[in-house]
Amino acid sequence: MEQTKYLVVGSSHAALEALTAIRMHDPEGSLTMLTRDPHLPYSPTVLPYVVSGRSAPDNVFLRDEKFFAEQKISLKRGKALKALHPARNAAELADGSEIGYEKLLLATGASPAIPPIPGIEQVGYHVLRTLDDATQLNAAMKASKQAVVMGAGLVGMHAAENLVKAGAKVTIVEMARQLTDGYFDATAAALIEKAFTDNGATILTGSRVVKLAPSATGATLTLESGATLEADLLLVATGVRPNMDFLAGDGATVARDKGILVSESMQTSVPNVFAAGDCAQAKSFYSDARVMNAILPDAAEQGRIAGMAMAGDPGIKAYPGGIPVNTYHFFGRHAISVGSSKVPEGGEVVTRFDEASGRYLKVIFHEGRLTGIYGVNEFFDAGVMSQLILRRIDLAPLRERFLAEPMKTAREIMSRTWR
Amino acid sequence: MGAYNTIAFDAAKCDGCGDCMSACANTKVGADDALKEAPLGGTARSRIQIGGTAETGYELALCRQCGDPKCVTVCPAGALGKDLSNGVIGWDAAKCVDCLLCTVGCAYAGIALDEATGRVAKCDMCEGNPSCVKACPHDALKLVTTSRIYNEVGGWEDLFAPGLAGCQGCNTELLMRHTLRRVGPDTVLATPPGCVPGMGSVGFNGTTGTKVPVFHPLLTNTAPMLAGVKRHYKRIGREVTALAIAGDGGASDVGFQSLSGAAERNEQILFMVVDNEGYMNTGMQRSSCTPYGAWTSTTPVGQGAGGVHSQGKTQDAKNLPLIMVNHRCEYVATASTACMEDLYDKLDKAIEASRRGFAYLHVYSPCTTGWRFPTDQNMEVARKAVDTTFVMLWEYTRADGLHFTRPVDDPLPVTEYLKAMGRFRHLSDDQISHIQSKVVENLGFVKQLAHGAKA
Amino acid sequence: MSTTTLEAPVEAKPKQKVILCEGNEAAALGVALARPDMVAVYPITPQSSLVEHVAKLIADGRMDADIVDAEGEHSVLSVLQGGALAGARTYTATCGPGLAFMFEPYFRTSGMRLPIVMSIVTRDGITPQSVWGGHQDAMTVREVGWVQVYCETVQEVLDTTIMAFKIAEHHDVMLPVNVCLDGNYLSYGTSRVELPDQAEVDAFMGVKDVNWHVALDPLRPMAVDPLTGGSSGRGPSTFVRYRKGQCRGMQNSLRVIEEVHEEWAKRFGRSYAPLVEDYRMEDADYAIMTLGSMSGAGKDAIDEARDAGKKVGLIKIKTFSPFPVDVLMKSLKNVRALGVVDRSVGFRWNCGPMYQETLGALYRLGRHVPAQSFIGGLAGADITVGHFHRVIEATEALLSGPASTEPVWLNEND
Repeated sequence: MEQTKYLVVGSSHAALEALTAIRMHDPEGSLTMLTRDPHLPYSPTVLPYVVSGRSAPDNVFLRDEKFFAEQKISLKRGKALKALHPARNAAELADGSEIGYEKLLLATGASPAIPPIPGIEQVGYHVLRTLDDATQLNAAMKASKQAVVMGAGLVGMHAAENLVKAGAKVTIVEMARQLTDGYFDATAAALIEKAFTDNGATILTGSRVVKLAPSATGATLTLESGATLEADLLLVATGVRPNMDFLAGDGATVARDKGILVSESMQTSVPNVFAAGDCAQAKSFYSDARVMNAILPDAAEQGRIAGMAMAGDPGIKAYPGGIPVNTYHFFGRHAISVGSSKVPEGGEVVTRFDEASGRYLKVIFHEGRLTGIYGVNEFFDAGVMSQLILRRIDLAPLRERFLAEPMKTAREIMSRTWR
Repeated sequence: MGAYNTIAFDAAKCDGCGDCMSACANTKVGADDALKEAPLGGTARSRIQIGGTAETGYELALCRQCGDPKCVTVCPAGALGKDLSNGVIGWDAAKCVDCLLCTVGCAYAGIALDEATGRVAKCDMCEGNPSCVKACPHDALKLVTTSRIYNEVGGWEDLFAPGLAGCQGCNTELLMRHTLRRVGPDTVLATPPGCVPGMGSVGFNGTTGTKVPVFHPLLTNTAPMLAGVKRHYKRIGREVTALAIAGDGGASDVGFQSLSGAAERNEQILFMVVDNEGYMNTGMQRSSCTPYGAWTSTTPVGQGAGGVHSQGKTQDAKNLPLIMVNHRCEYVATASTACMEDLYDKLDKAIEASRRGFAYLHVYSPCTTGWRFPTDQNMEVARKAVDTTFVMLWEYTRADGLHFTRPVDDPLPVTEYLKAMGRFRHLSDDQISHIQSKVVENLGFVKQLAHGAKA
Repeated sequence: MSTTTLEAPVEAKPKQKVILCEGNEAAALGVALARPDMVAVYPITPQSSLVEHVAKLIADGRMDADIVDAEGEHSVLSVLQGGALAGARTYTATCGPGLAFMFEPYFRTSGMRLPIVMSIVTRDGITPQSVWGGHQDAMTVREVGWVQVYCETVQEVLDTTIMAFKIAEHHDVMLPVNVCLDGNYLSYGTSRVELPDQAEVDAFMGVKDVNWHVALDPLRPMAVDPLTGGSSGRGPSTFVRYRKGQCRGMQNSLRVIEEVHEEWAKRFGRSYAPLVEDYRMEDADYAIMTLGSMSGAGKDAIDEARDAGKKVGLIKIKTFSPFPVDVLMKSLKNVRALGVVDRSVGFRWNCGPMYQETLGALYRLGRHVPAQSFIGGLAGADITVGHFHRVIEATEALLSGPASTEPVWLNEND
């Protein structure tokens, strides 16, 4: 059986940061990266831009072969993890071979969740999670005349915009009462919706697809209302589920909930097994509850902490808990959300909306501290705002200034903090 | 890692004129900075943003060209990367997908949206010659080399063992490691009783704390014992540096005679005193280097008898480095861990001087434990000692006399220093006045010496 | 081991230059012949002319050594410790208050096993103030792990000074050595001295190797004298190992001192009792014990007593530290009464220090030997033949009467 000191499964942000952190502390220990993807590492977040054609598929890689050679990392591509045997520290691959490890990181990410709609197995549909998904969608999009996107999360919205720009008649079907539910509030969502409808898209919120059937065009969708839609291109973007099927059987000693449960050092219930990124369920910043916070910056942070823990780096600091952060670029406009959309008890919400310019700002305070900030066409630095929340900086003395000029005031505060 | 240049901002010198922003906008996008009037408030086209007011002080948003850049790690498109040749974090416009995730990564708005283009923009250091620095009329922006010391010596061998056991927040370990790696392996090191061996430099029970020969002289005989070592190597034609890292107690009190004797004989040794103003390793007792008014465990604070309160040390500190100047040593200097570059320059000179004769380096080194201040405040306390001229940084050679290496034009009141630590907490107003007057007197005295040197 | 008497046959001597000099100059000449690398000096009466002679020998190019004019005895010994750790053969001299001031590094020299040779031009202890001879200084530091030998004549000073380096540097010993010469009596006493040939001394000394066991050398870095002790871990055992090693070195030195004296006699034709000298001890019923330069007058008194038919002999201690108990036992084998003459005071037992040490040795005889302590020659006082006759008479009285617990103060009424 092949043996490695560190085995990292996955090849996106969490996994890549873990490699860096391990090599910072242990330049020599044998290190293997395993990925089911046939390609060099890339980010799922870049895929909408591959779909749109803006990014060439061969120009999105985050590391090259030289990196792996220099860092003495064995990269195994196109090798999926099939089962884990924690009792004997072995990872079983889809091809039946095994790799023994001393420390294991599960950064396996997530896969599209396919809703159990009758007939879905009989129709052809697209998903968007891998580079190959993206190149297929890009090819299909060019021929599409009428497309349906199921799901109005950021993946679906990105793709819908691309389809609109490619000339297709696009319909977005979303179960929730608004677009981008969970990312932006109703006001922001309305602004986003307007941008889409202005560009010719049809938005069907509060709608559910109850039946799918093959048709001459491609697929016929039947909605709860009884209405039907024809699609020559169907994209299912109704959310994701963490990749952790390999924990069935022997691997069940690694505790799971919605994702793989991890401590503040990204350790699972099995001491030498760690998890990070979209497959991990880690501490929330706002409470002790463990939550899924599948966003890129958090994946990188979790991966770094996991790598430090695996290598025994004494500089490790406990994961402070993640906060949601999203930036969304649509039809030349921006929507930014930082922090929790929930208004805590005793919290205060201040909103400002200028209909003429479409600038919208929403700020949530609690006990003089920022807990969330949302904006559409109102630019502020998401990283700076994150720090104000994470550092629990008291804004009470600067409240009015902050509300008047959030970006400027926040920058000043962080500049002072830094100096 | 190479030596990188970075743009340093001195808020105290900035008057918010905005010339830097105009210069940047002109250079980068060929336009004057239209949003200059709303500094930091909008997405001005300049990549350097000055904000704040005269009352609150001016603040800066500018890419720090971080060593561990978060903007790079969160970029999904591989559009950002640190150029290891110059340290600049570069942005690849062709790869960028305008997702703004980089702005999530940066805590200081060093990369931000330029609304005019809809794309992010960041400082690229103008190929090493930043327009903003050139444009600043007040010297508030300077191009400085970061990590100069680290970049120069980071690769040199650390000749102390890992895991020295100093108190939390102590900077003596830093001083020791920097000093020895500078002096190098052909060294015999003497660490007389005190914090330096106390934290394990000579090892315990048959182990050793250093990779060079090291010994634990008596508190009283560091200089002559080391001189004996050096003399024999010289006799047999071997170049060996004789280095002492000693405390202030042994040097200024019980070991002073032998120190003076070695200096008078111009023994070829480098004698470094780590002055933490007392016998800190032994339990924070008073030495002759303890300043007036300071609490120590042998100059405690109490009610006293007959209404006469005991209020810390009742005498002023002995100025050991000035006494050493009067030996007309090959080299004498004072240094502080607050000013490492200054210390490094002096270390180089002291090493060189010790090949000709006696070199004496007196390093002021605050003691978190004995001086009673939080463990994260050591550098700050050291800095305040310098900024108030409670300690003065100067050097002396026979040829050039004495001169200040880091003159302080406008010293802070000594209270800024005194209030930073607990050992002075009990001071009465009279005692504070005494200390302030002594600081002024000492500064005047050294200035006279320095003036005499110039004449 | 055996006692040695001066009746041993003397072999043909190699050609040696004869000069007239004082004891301090003889010591300096001995030092020069031993070729140390480093000497450190600080003047003190009655040692001063010794270091002056050393300085002049170096100034005249007759001796090639680095001379360190230190600012005090404390630094004198400290410089030499550094030199020894770097591989130098080292020498100094002191006495009285200087030795007291030196005590801190003095204690440490034996612990570090540094083979430094130091003359003690013995001087009485203050107070009252005195710059005159007496053994009080050397006696006071007898428990500090240095080998201490006492000389009787100026020639013996010269010869013993050279031998001291060889004893100190012997790999079975590796201990510092004090060559004690009586202040005033030997330091300034002038007599005929045979000067050994340098080449012959070089051959006698062999190869210098003084820091093979402990060194401050970047080519073989080590921590010299790291912290030990505490009640747990390796601390206690490490410390005990050091102390046991010192004691073993002291005991080894008894054998080495004999071997070195034997080789000296062979090469240079002058023979000295290395540890204990028996003088007219054959068939002696009782004996007196002496140390250092007083022994000459003691021997004259014995000769006169023998002429008067008294069966008395003299036992002279040359090596006082380590105390040569086994050899002394042989000298005392048939003795029935003993008088011990000290030139210093043992305050704790109200007697002379050598007397006290001898009582300890007598315990091993397994029989009671009445013994009396005599203290004389303090602060430069002379112990004359007349004084020794008093010693002999008082000791003879012990054959038929009890010993006093009070010492006899020989110069009390001088």
